[in-house]
Amino acid sequence: MQSTVPGTAMDSRLSGEREPADPNLVYIRDLIYQVCGIFHPDNKLNFLRDRCIRRMKVRQVDSYRDYLELLTTHAGRDEEVRNLLNEITVGETCFFRCPPQLTALRKIILPRFSSSVPRLATRKFRVWSAACSTGEEPYTLAMISLEESAGPHRNVAWEIVATDLNDRSITRAELGLYDAYALRNTEPYFLQKYFVKDGDKFQLSSQVRSRVTFSRLNLLDESKLLFMKGFDLIFCANVLIYFDTASKRRVVEHLYNSLVPGGHFFLSPTESLFAITDHFHLVHFPGATGYLRPGGLSGPGSPMPPLSSEKK
Amino acid sequence: MKTEVEEALRGRIRNLDAMPSIPAVLAPLLRCLELPPDQIELEKLTELISCDKSITAQCLRMANSPLFAPGRRVETIRGAVVALGSRRLRDILWSSFLVRMAPKTDWPVNPAAFWEHSFGCAIVTQQLARKVGWHDPERAYLCGLLHDIGELVYATLLPEEFRAAVNAANERNISLYQAEQELFGFTHADTGGLLADYWSLPTDVQKVIEFHHTPELAPQPVVLSALVHLSDLLCRMQGMGYGFEELMEVDFADSSAWRLLREELPKIGSVDVARFTLELDAEAEEVRRLVSSVFQP
Repeated sequence: MQSTVPGTAMDSRLSGEREPADPNLVYIRDLIYQVCGIFHPDNKLNFLRDRCIRRMKVRQVDSYRDYLELLTTHAGRDEEVRNLLNEITVGETCFFRCPPQLTALRKIILPRFSSSVPRLATRKFRVWSAACSTGEEPYTLAMISLEESAGPHRNVAWEIVATDLNDRSITRAELGLYDAYALRNTEPYFLQKYFVKDGDKFQLSSQVRSRVTFSRLNLLDESKLLFMKGFDLIFCANVLIYFDTASKRRVVEHLYNSLVPGGHFFLSPTESLFAITDHFHLVHFPGATGYLRPGGLSGPGSPMPPLSSEKK
Repeated sequence: MKTEVEEALRGRIRNLDAMPSIPAVLAPLLRCLELPPDQIELEKLTELISCDKSITAQCLRMANSPLFAPGRRVETIRGAVVALGSRRLRDILWSSFLVRMAPKTDWPVNPAAFWEHSFGCAIVTQQLARKVGWHDPERAYLCGLLHDIGELVYATLLPEEFRAAVNAANERNISLYQAEQELFGFTHADTGGLLADYWSLPTDVQKVIEFHHTPELAPQPVVLSALVHLSDLLCRMQGMGYGFEELMEVDFADSSAWRLLREELPKIGSVDVARFTLELDAEAEEVRRLVSSVFQP
């Protein structure tokens, strides 16, 4: 006699997957990924749910299904997607935001660069924070550069360039004054060494501030981007998400050309370049993924092929 | 000099009688679970499980663990089977066998990390197999799960050498494979191949265990060796490694395993590896729960 497990609920459990999430929420997750490349794995769906609910309260809808409609078929859908993205990325900026990326920089990328420098010579390691907001990211890099320049990689001279579209962000960045929230990921060592407490704020030392050059830059302004060349490393978190596919492709093409062959490009940990370009190689570091412009320090630079010949 | 040492060590690992053998009930149970969910015979499954005391106990314990099945108390095997689901049952079956494989002496690696890596690699290989359109994801799971059993041989029969290799890997941030190769001239891929043969595992599984670090040398089906090779790397990069830091940059596009897969399975060009990597975050969480529940009572 054959006894099968009855009922669809049990079937879904017997197929061994975890409790299914609301299909509309999963749909929103996939929509967000298609539109902007930010992905929420199953164990982070609660976060996305929470952010959707915030927007649903504002828009006064009470089901994911209705909210999905606002994101897809409704007249103001682009604006609503943007509002949701703002909720998803709000307050993400802070010092030492993505430690595995920084570890990859300090333990893999920089030592390799350093060992490629001829003995008794120095070479410039050029880093660009392409969406620096209020300065947390480039200043983190500046502190790391100070630490590394005192260590085994003193043959590397750093140049840190930071740009953002927003004037006011740049002005605030140059002040170098931060609240405790921006420092939530910062180890006491760095806090004590590079900050001075000023009321309920923290003032960044001029030693760190002087290491970063800020300027305003629109990533879609091609005439200015032509001058951004020869970088070994570019950070560009949570900006591409706001561009449509065509603009995204243009920006990424420029970023690619701004890198030296063998140079690396980091997005935010949840973003991806899939279906935007396949000229970069996706590379895996411990706990982080990055994008590599192939070619390498030793090999000759491979110019980027035209985007139109992308598919064979 | 080195070859003499190598010969002596090779002699010692042929003494595989010291390794546990596969319990008879495992194979029919796994066959039972490989059926599509709507064809699984619950009676047969419960009957087979009840033959093995330790598997029975494990199932009941996990079914009543708040981590896996919150809610009602489960008293029967049948209830446990339904509460756990086939995927977790399969994990429990393998883990209740593999737990007997753990060396009795102190390991130089954290055993939980070893099991996390093995179960992590099993799931990642299976998911990757699905993504690239390989016809047998279950076999991929098995290959991923067992790919490093050679480390158990090392840990059991060559404990001092194992410790030396782990220390070298730890100190120099290199892979265990590289450390074994440099120190002894043969690796856990070789010892694993011997154990797989001793257990009479299916030939393709044996070959994957033997060639998972050198998929370009693997016999057909090379896809399995290549899949395990890449999944192994992904796990080590995504927090399901052996618990020591390997400072590497992995470039799939530049690896021989990826090229092999591209030749065999053209569909792989459309796989979104970035998204796949992000999805692993959820898998890693699940694997950690499984391991903490099974291997640390």
